[in-house]
Amino acid sequence: KGKFTIQAEIGQSLQFNFVGAQSVTRKITDGKALSVQMESSNINLNEIVVTGYQKERKKDLTGAVSVVKVRDIKDIPLGNPMKALQGRVAGVTVSTDGNPGGGATVRIRGIGTLGNNDPLYVIDGVPTKRGLQELNPNDVESIQVLKDASAASIYGSRAANGVIIVTTKRAKNGVSRINFGASTSLQFNTSKLDVLNTDQRGRAYWQAAVNDKQNPNLNSTYQYDWNNNFDSPTLNRVILPEFLDAAKTMKPADTRWFDEISQTSVVQQYNLDISNGTEKSNSFFSVSYYDNKGIIKESQNKKITARFNSDYTLFNGRLKIGENFSASYVRNTLLPIGDITGLSVIDFSIIPVHTIDGGWGGPAAGMADRQNPVRLIEDNKQNKDHLGRVFGNAYADLKILPNLSLSTNYGIDYAAGFNRTIRKSYVSGYLVDPSNQVGTSASYDGNLIWKNQLTYNLALNKHKIDVLVAHEQIKVMNRNFFGSRQGYALETLDYAYLSSGSTNKDNGGGGSGNALLSYFGRVNYSFNDRYIASVTLRRDGSSRFGSNNRFGTFPAASVGWRVSEESFIKDNLPFISDLKLRYGWGKTGNQEIDNYANYSLYTPIYGTNPTGSYDGGTAYDIGGNGTGQLPSGFVLIQTGNPDIRWEDKTENNYGIDFGLFNNKVSGSIDYFTKNTTGILISPAYLAVKGDGGKRFANGASVYNKGLEFVLNYSTTINRDWNIDLSGNISTYRNKITDLPSEVLTSYPGNGTDKTILGRSVNSMFGYVADGIFQNQGEVDGSATQPGKGIGRIRYKDLNGDNIIDDKDRDYIGSGDPDFVYGLNANITYKNFDFAFFIQGIKGNDVNNGNKYLTDFSSLAPGANWGSRVLNAWTPQNTGSTIPALTTVDRNNEGRFSTYFIESGSYLKLRNIQLGYNFKGLLSKYKVQNARVFIQANNLVTLKSKSFTGPDPENPGNGFPIPVITSLGVNISF
Amino acid sequence: CKKYLDEQPQGSVSGETLNTPENVDKMLIAAYSALGNDAWITPYSDMWSLGSIRSGDAYKGGDGPGDVGDFHAYETFALNRVDLGATDNMWFRLYIGVGRANDALGRINAISEAEYPNKVSRQAEARFLRAHFYFLLKMLYKRIPYIDETIDKPGYDTVSNRSFSSDQLWSKIAADFRFAADNLPATQTDKGRINKYAAKAYLAKTLLYQAYTQDDNNNVTGIDKPKLEEVNTLTGEVIAGPYSLYTDYANNFLSQFDNGSESVFAIQYSLDDGTPFGRVDNGHSLNYPMNKEYGCCGFHVPSYNLINSFVTTGQGIPDFDGFNNNEIGKNGDYKTKSFDPRLDHTAAIPGHPYKYKPDFIYQTTWSRAPQIYGPMLSLKEAVLYDDPAFKRFPPFMSSAKNWMVIRLADVILMKAEALIELGREQEALPLINSIRTRAGNSTAKLKMTDGTATSNYKIDTYKPGVNCTWTNDYARQALRYERRLEFAMEGYRFFDLVRWGIAAEYLNTYFAKEKSRVTHLNDALFKKNRDEYLPIPLNQINFSKGLYKQNSGW
Repeated sequence: KGKFTIQAEIGQSLQFNFVGAQSVTRKITDGKALSVQMESSNINLNEIVVTGYQKERKKDLTGAVSVVKVRDIKDIPLGNPMKALQGRVAGVTVSTDGNPGGGATVRIRGIGTLGNNDPLYVIDGVPTKRGLQELNPNDVESIQVLKDASAASIYGSRAANGVIIVTTKRAKNGVSRINFGASTSLQFNTSKLDVLNTDQRGRAYWQAAVNDKQNPNLNSTYQYDWNNNFDSPTLNRVILPEFLDAAKTMKPADTRWFDEISQTSVVQQYNLDISNGTEKSNSFFSVSYYDNKGIIKESQNKKITARFNSDYTLFNGRLKIGENFSASYVRNTLLPIGDITGLSVIDFSIIPVHTIDGGWGGPAAGMADRQNPVRLIEDNKQNKDHLGRVFGNAYADLKILPNLSLSTNYGIDYAAGFNRTIRKSYVSGYLVDPSNQVGTSASYDGNLIWKNQLTYNLALNKHKIDVLVAHEQIKVMNRNFFGSRQGYALETLDYAYLSSGSTNKDNGGGGSGNALLSYFGRVNYSFNDRYIASVTLRRDGSSRFGSNNRFGTFPAASVGWRVSEESFIKDNLPFISDLKLRYGWGKTGNQEIDNYANYSLYTPIYGTNPTGSYDGGTAYDIGGNGTGQLPSGFVLIQTGNPDIRWEDKTENNYGIDFGLFNNKVSGSIDYFTKNTTGILISPAYLAVKGDGGKRFANGASVYNKGLEFVLNYSTTINRDWNIDLSGNISTYRNKITDLPSEVLTSYPGNGTDKTILGRSVNSMFGYVADGIFQNQGEVDGSATQPGKGIGRIRYKDLNGDNIIDDKDRDYIGSGDPDFVYGLNANITYKNFDFAFFIQGIKGNDVNNGNKYLTDFSSLAPGANWGSRVLNAWTPQNTGSTIPALTTVDRNNEGRFSTYFIESGSYLKLRNIQLGYNFKGLLSKYKVQNARVFIQANNLVTLKSKSFTGPDPENPGNGFPIPVITSLGVNISF
Repeated sequence: CKKYLDEQPQGSVSGETLNTPENVDKMLIAAYSALGNDAWITPYSDMWSLGSIRSGDAYKGGDGPGDVGDFHAYETFALNRVDLGATDNMWFRLYIGVGRANDALGRINAISEAEYPNKVSRQAEARFLRAHFYFLLKMLYKRIPYIDETIDKPGYDTVSNRSFSSDQLWSKIAADFRFAADNLPATQTDKGRINKYAAKAYLAKTLLYQAYTQDDNNNVTGIDKPKLEEVNTLTGEVIAGPYSLYTDYANNFLSQFDNGSESVFAIQYSLDDGTPFGRVDNGHSLNYPMNKEYGCCGFHVPSYNLINSFVTTGQGIPDFDGFNNNEIGKNGDYKTKSFDPRLDHTAAIPGHPYKYKPDFIYQTTWSRAPQIYGPMLSLKEAVLYDDPAFKRFPPFMSSAKNWMVIRLADVILMKAEALIELGREQEALPLINSIRTRAGNSTAKLKMTDGTATSNYKIDTYKPGVNCTWTNDYARQALRYERRLEFAMEGYRFFDLVRWGIAAEYLNTYFAKEKSRVTHLNDALFKKNRDEYLPIPLNQINFSKGLYKQNSGW
């Protein structure tokens, strides 16, 4: 809020402009004071964009930089700003599951490397690989995505997967404001897998048995009243036993396990921020509370954050000292979510949740050894993981000369985790564990960043030069330990401390770390606001590489031409309000391998938990005493590669930014190519190498090219109507161009004549399923295929040798989409605002692993199956594409084949919301702004008909992505 | 500034640090520890998944054919494939053992005897361990890449599985055991450490396998008599050593007799040793009943054929030709016919005490899928739930009871086998009879609560002219039958059949009859000249980029 006077004549117009706001034009009709309220704007070329150690005007950008419209996502209650970004930025893919504590997987411009493809996050100048899940989304002022190497290479070593720059809010000069926001959401699941009930499971087993000409009554659970005729079998009735177990404690049930473990849950979020800005100091303070109860019972993610950002200007503006500091506390309930959701699908519905005397139901003889998921929830709900994170930086900016400034910045990013867990004793069917255990573990992750930079700006006539020279060093470390004991008299949290346990003391711990040291510089030059050029050079050293290859050099350059500033456009094509051509070239690096990849490492493994797997331990009871302290040796865990070096990526980006009709229509087109060479990988190795065969190496090269297209349309129809549309579509192609023999076998293929060279990294390799054998004639007439038979899947004899074997595998699919797209619409009418966001992906193949359960009775014989098995092939149901049910997988139908590959295309209505803004209506209560809204996320999904699972975005068996509906309010004073 | 980038590995050491006498000793311990590092997915302490359920002695068990389906493929042969995960995993795990032995051996070789007085005997131990893992690989896969401590890791990529002939591979293995036999002390202070006798016994075992020469199609083509002479000598030396048969056969399968008088080479397991669950016998962790004292998983079920094989004639000797005409397992009658007492040491049978505990009666409901696999369960690997060595790690359980790879009875019968094949069956007779005598004396623990015998036991030694005619052929038959009874469910039966060259005929005969008793064997068929060995895992052929060649028939 501010006041000023200006001289003007009646009849003249005054135009008010402010960074980040829509310009307002008012005609002067009298001499009275004007009251002008400005609204924030979506498109403004003078917008300041943070591009890496520097701020630039948007119109001066020459790299591929996307600015996220934070306003569109700020009310989405996902707890992590990145989760809300899916589909909103061309070339950026975000995948997530519905786990309240889960992270988001972010991919920029496809997959460039094999290992870690996560982008680098830079929060207020402090780089981190940790993601944004501990950040308060409401503190975010802006998010920029640096997609190409010319923009990102200033971040050198860790920028190969792109950079996401987050700037948090600061007080605006001359603005004092209190903001309060609250929202409550309900989330529920709409995409569960349809599984068999008790009677159906019985029928399906019967069908499988009679198909095999095997007496169906040879099983421990079901008995059948049937006509005993294998040639034309008829089932009269499925007979259930009175009790499932010999002890007569479990009656047959019809448990819907997914319903037992899931719920409609509530997400609440509240935030409050206070900002106060003056000429000499600015301060911003915020607190937030976020409580996401998941749709799996007792799952919960709770987050409390506080932030204090401030700065002080001293010595007539020559010195600025400031800090950004945030502290977060996150508490997650430690449920084995993957197990619980998986078990809710595969556990037999005949098993009751509880026994008749109130104990836990569980598997009986004849059933697989699977836990009761309700018990897993109840016995683990007291186990919480606590995480505290402090993140921030302190800085000083000194203007040595009016054009020359020196700044130093010290950042910290520390996260400390702690948990205390009880593993309770239980009896659940034949699964019994009379022992209990308490475990306590702690870890801390530290990240110290020190950066010094010198900047020089010069504006001389039409020339503008910015120069930056800087040094940065980063130290990353992790330490962790755990302890556990058994023999607890009580299984309560109040008692569950290590010292209260009596037996089986166990403990362990470890540590790791790495360091980066960098020098870099950049020169930006622009002439007459028309010709723009920028050159960057960065030299990075990483402790992960051997001393010979420690340093990598990462140069970049870019040029831009603002054609719209040229008179031949201005004079002849006035409808073009902005047109810029850009080209950038750059090199970035990747060091995402184990911290000590260049060393051969031996470690003692005294003994491990052998449950379900191998004990790779090195201790042995050589004394033959059967107990007591054992001597222990060492084992090679990694073979070092002293020659390992930086993986590097060279990228070209060609871009056009345009604005038409006074920027009513605007957009950009980017074409890129990127070539990644020496991809870091730890290749699959021959088994004879034994322990420590793991060895990092520089392997294949991958070539990516892609196109991204963004189009915005913004119009004010009259004072009441405002429409703002923004769409993006992008695509990429991916190809392996070099494949050293050392890494050949790590990629899908057969190691000899079928290799991935020239194909996409995301290629799928397997057999071609060629329908179902309908009759004996077809069986006899086809190639030799062990296990073939009527009703079984026929595989294609690709090499024509009349034998179906491993040589009949080929490349049968690709995970690369044809294109991905998003469309966001914001429509305001008077005080109402309405927005929706549609996002989709088209043309990608997914491996629908759920088909193991939904289409087969033999691949997971101890599991409940999907309802699709009821429609399997039988001599009476020959039109089915689902192979005949059988008790034994003789035909090896679990082999990876086109049977499991389905279309992953989908279109989702990600978000839809309606708001009402009270604007000035409440001003007498000192309310500047107040808005209420309702919204829904993931409300509608359209998928390909060929996809047989519930959600193609989540084809595995993860935590379902819930529908979230919310009601919220924001008020500013 | 460059120092800033010097990050030292945390919590680990470099290979060079380990070349001190103390650490070299520990590297050998790491090689020993691989002996017991198997798991139920690929058990290799006892070879039950590959030696027992492929031999006609046992069914896979568990929930049904699809439960650990790879083992069902093993059991039926016809469903076996080149890309089974279990086959690849077994290969990998055994080479881990080879690798640990080679790593230790390389370091021992490089250290001087002055610095490391035990050098030669430690070399011998390392070579014994390496030979043990190669022996298992050789039995399973026939043609394997042979890598010793002189080859550097990068060179492993160039070693083909056809660099050595099948016979040369046996000789390589025998050479290691021979070195161990020549250089180990007769006794060791550490009971778990290998001594001279164990090496001699294993050398004898290797030579016995090698003596039955095979052609490229796995046909047994002849017998190498000089090798058998050596087997005879070596086994004689072991028998003359400090060992003796336990008076009661049961002691072989009870934890309190670990490292006792019959134990020649045993894998040591331990409990309450500072590891999370103890260094227990994970390879047998599926093989317990489904009752509340245990709970999982009902694998490794004696076949009906095996139960029948314990029937004795009225003269107390086996009925070689007619035993399988009985239906003992089906009708549950253990009183009318007479039985070799080893029956109740081997099989858990409904109505009979489980693991010698008279008031703990095994029931059909304790088995996992009696409709499919019948109601029995294997007994030798199990321990009682109240045994101090028992350990539960849900859903699995096992024990710290040692597992004997070679026990004296095996050495005695190896000697008998060599003598018979050398045409000296008369010398073999007392050896076989010593085993039968001990079996006959092993009924003290086979009692019901009222003190009566669990089954009707009747067993006698072979008495030429009284109950048999001891010809060379008869002796061979008796020896082979005796090995079956004595070592039933101990994991090596299939390899005996392959060694003798009778696997195809024996197993297809077994399948023909057994299919009438159980349905899960419907697909079973042994393909001669193929199924004697597992295929080289497809993954390994692919990873070798074609350097490895597939076994014949596959």
